[in-house]
Amino acid sequence: MSLIKNWKFWALVIAALIWARMPWFVSNNYQLQVLFRITLFAALGLAWDLVGGYAGQLSLGHAAFFGVGAYGLALFTQLSIPVWISLFLAAVVATLVAAVIGIISFRLRGPYFALATIAFGEVLRLVATNLNVTGGAIGLTMPSLFTGRTFWRQFYLASVALVVLAFLINFLVSRSRFGYYLMAIREDEDTASAVGINTPRCKLQSLLLSAFITALGGALYASAFQFIVPDSVLTLDISIQVSIIAMLGGAGTLLGPIIGSALLLGSQEVFKNQFQESHLLIYGVLIVIVVLFMPEGIVGGLQQLFRKRAKSPSASAQPATSGAAQ
Amino acid sequence: MTAAPILELRDVTRRFGGLRAVKNVSLTMNEGEILFIIGPNGAGKTTVFNLISGFLHPNEGIILFQNQDISRMPPHRSARLGIGRTFQIVKPLRGLTVLQNVMLGAFMHTRNLQKAVEESKKILDFLQMSHLSKFLASGLPLAALKRLEIARALATKPKLVLLDEVVSGLTTSEALALAALIKRLPEWGVSVVGGVEHVMQVVMKIADRVIVLDYGAKIAEGVPADVVKMPEVIEAYLGPKFRELTQ
Amino acid sequence: MVRFLQACIDGLLTGALYALIGMGLALIFGVMRIVNFAHGAFMMAGMYATYVLFDYFRLNPYWGFLPAGACLFIFGYLCYLLLIRPVRNRSDFMQILMTIGIGLILTDGAQLIFKADYRQTNIALVNRSVHLGPFGANAAEVVSFVIALIFVMGLHLFVVKSRTGQALRAISQNREVAPLMGINLVRIQGFSFALGIALAGVAGGLLLPRLYLFPGVGEDYTTKAFVMVVLGGMGSIEGAALGGLVLGITESLTSLYAGNEWALIVDFIIFLLVLSFKPSGIFGSQRA
Repeated sequence: MSLIKNWKFWALVIAALIWARMPWFVSNNYQLQVLFRITLFAALGLAWDLVGGYAGQLSLGHAAFFGVGAYGLALFTQLSIPVWISLFLAAVVATLVAAVIGIISFRLRGPYFALATIAFGEVLRLVATNLNVTGGAIGLTMPSLFTGRTFWRQFYLASVALVVLAFLINFLVSRSRFGYYLMAIREDEDTASAVGINTPRCKLQSLLLSAFITALGGALYASAFQFIVPDSVLTLDISIQVSIIAMLGGAGTLLGPIIGSALLLGSQEVFKNQFQESHLLIYGVLIVIVVLFMPEGIVGGLQQLFRKRAKSPSASAQPATSGAAQ
Repeated sequence: MTAAPILELRDVTRRFGGLRAVKNVSLTMNEGEILFIIGPNGAGKTTVFNLISGFLHPNEGIILFQNQDISRMPPHRSARLGIGRTFQIVKPLRGLTVLQNVMLGAFMHTRNLQKAVEESKKILDFLQMSHLSKFLASGLPLAALKRLEIARALATKPKLVLLDEVVSGLTTSEALALAALIKRLPEWGVSVVGGVEHVMQVVMKIADRVIVLDYGAKIAEGVPADVVKMPEVIEAYLGPKFRELTQ
Repeated sequence: MVRFLQACIDGLLTGALYALIGMGLALIFGVMRIVNFAHGAFMMAGMYATYVLFDYFRLNPYWGFLPAGACLFIFGYLCYLLLIRPVRNRSDFMQILMTIGIGLILTDGAQLIFKADYRQTNIALVNRSVHLGPFGANAAEVVSFVIALIFVMGLHLFVVKSRTGQALRAISQNREVAPLMGINLVRIQGFSFALGIALAGVAGGLLLPRLYLFPGVGEDYTTKAFVMVVLGGMGSIEGAALGGLVLGITESLTSLYAGNEWALIVDFIIFLLVLSFKPSGIFGSQRA
């Protein structure tokens, strides 16, 4: 498959370059910060999508990895380890945490899994609130990955780098056997086992990958805002936000989480006053609407539309079917 | 005189709570055979399939596949050893296309997408389903889904394939067409264990041997023509009154 | 030793209220296989309803919980018809998300209407206590315990003896067969959902005098409800009730020996332990 000749490839490259150049179009630091958050959460959405969209496992505990990344960066730096190495180590620790969570939680199916992930996330939050080393409820100061007058621009570029990385990973996964295995697990775990897929191991692998990226995002985010408390980086709120971003945009698609983040966080900014007081209400309404009317999300819905128009099965293949399974 | 049997069950028992769904069942099967397990609804056929493919484990007895003890193996490992299966209630991967469904099977032997596509297309050809490759599994009628189950299992290049109720729900002509294909599987090196509730033309036509289960126990074994006339078998299906008909 | 037993008694008294919440969740899960992540939010709604009755009509919560419960029954039924039923055939994923969405709407809606202030009801009963030997109990707790117990037993009898109750149990065993037995699936499922929600509302009303009321008060209770249901074996109403009592006592003892903050953590830990080692529940049936 000649990638270089593929127009989609070039479209994405150009889009990425423009995206990276956004700071030059923007007038102040606040707007840069908004762009930073949108880009970062797009990366988080992509990372979540590996587990939630491709493998179909509704994880509502991703805040755990986000928070471990943040706290890890702070704590490792306190041990006089250079910032960038601390960043990497924090992500590694988050991956180990993911291994524990995954091994226990993936043995559970359906709603039990979601419950377990919530439980783990909350346990971590409560523990961080009660331990001294993590600063308790007062929190910790974060080391700065970037300093100087243009530090927001640098953070922004780092977030672009992260989203490109996340995108690449999702892209490669979706084109690989591993990706197909995840999708098989999503559709039917028994069938997946029957074709030789080691379902617990695959699910775990997707979670580890997802956790690593999420932790990098968490550390980056925390460093940009310079100060963390358990309630800012370990809440269920973050877990839900990441999952909505992926679902709203289209779980299991490549562009979905990106569009979802732009939409969700973008509209948060636009409707800032209403959202500030009732952003959970908006989330709730969004979730209800998405579940009721477009469970594939925006990108997924569009894909289905194109598919229906281009390829409707012939009469011989579809006599009086009762409709798609949904 | 023959090589070791490809599949062997020795005194296998499986209980659910107090109920013995499979009672001391023993059977032997040679390579290249087409064996059918028949029995009324609830006789334990699907449980036997689940036991062989690793979705359930026997409480007593052992199961040998190519002389290897697979009694405690998880399903994905039995699959990798060469046991393919279809499910009684079809389980297609609904959000994926027909081709993608089959590719999941092909992936057992290759990591390469292109190769998986090629292998899958061959299988779809064999099953006369190529024209359906790009359609989502969710939109297919039952007959196609049954073939898809088989295609997916075949793509894993199994040595033994378990076909549970593979012709149920099909019209007679669809069933016979499918049966003709199944008859050819041993040519591809695949031995077949089929499971059906009713002894139909299909079984008579293609089975080399038949085993009859009733309430979890094996009550008869032999060539189809003989088994159908056995009093125990008739009684199992129609009740004790009809046993007299054969006396 | 006395302190230990006192804590146990306190836990038991609270546990009965927990049992109500848990039974509601177990009912919903047993009959509909839906994991209601909004359960605590509905409880919170019940609390606010009771509070409004108290604030405007001077209705004592220990009476007010009844109309509040009735309101929540109707509200629950409406939610079922409009929001739950349309997605009943979707994947678990989707159903869970739906209940999460409902929970968010309820919680933030309450914040919009009532603001985030902490409110409190002051009832004479809360300030009186009852003594038996070396043990004491808050009069309000005893009253709510008795009421809760009545409901728990009432529910149990209802499920076991009444026709509707038996229909409920039939469905939780096997959903597909039910229509064949002449059971109107939609009505029964709507009824169970509404009943489950109403129970949460009743529990909320009974808890009102003892807690600070604010929009987020229900969140922890969703978790507690899950722990109870898991302890008792998913779908088992009696199991959830027992789970409620166990939870109440465990929390009370944890508070005594380790401090309040750890109580919730212990809830989660129990939850994870049970899920890891005995997913069918400690008191559980085989249904999982």
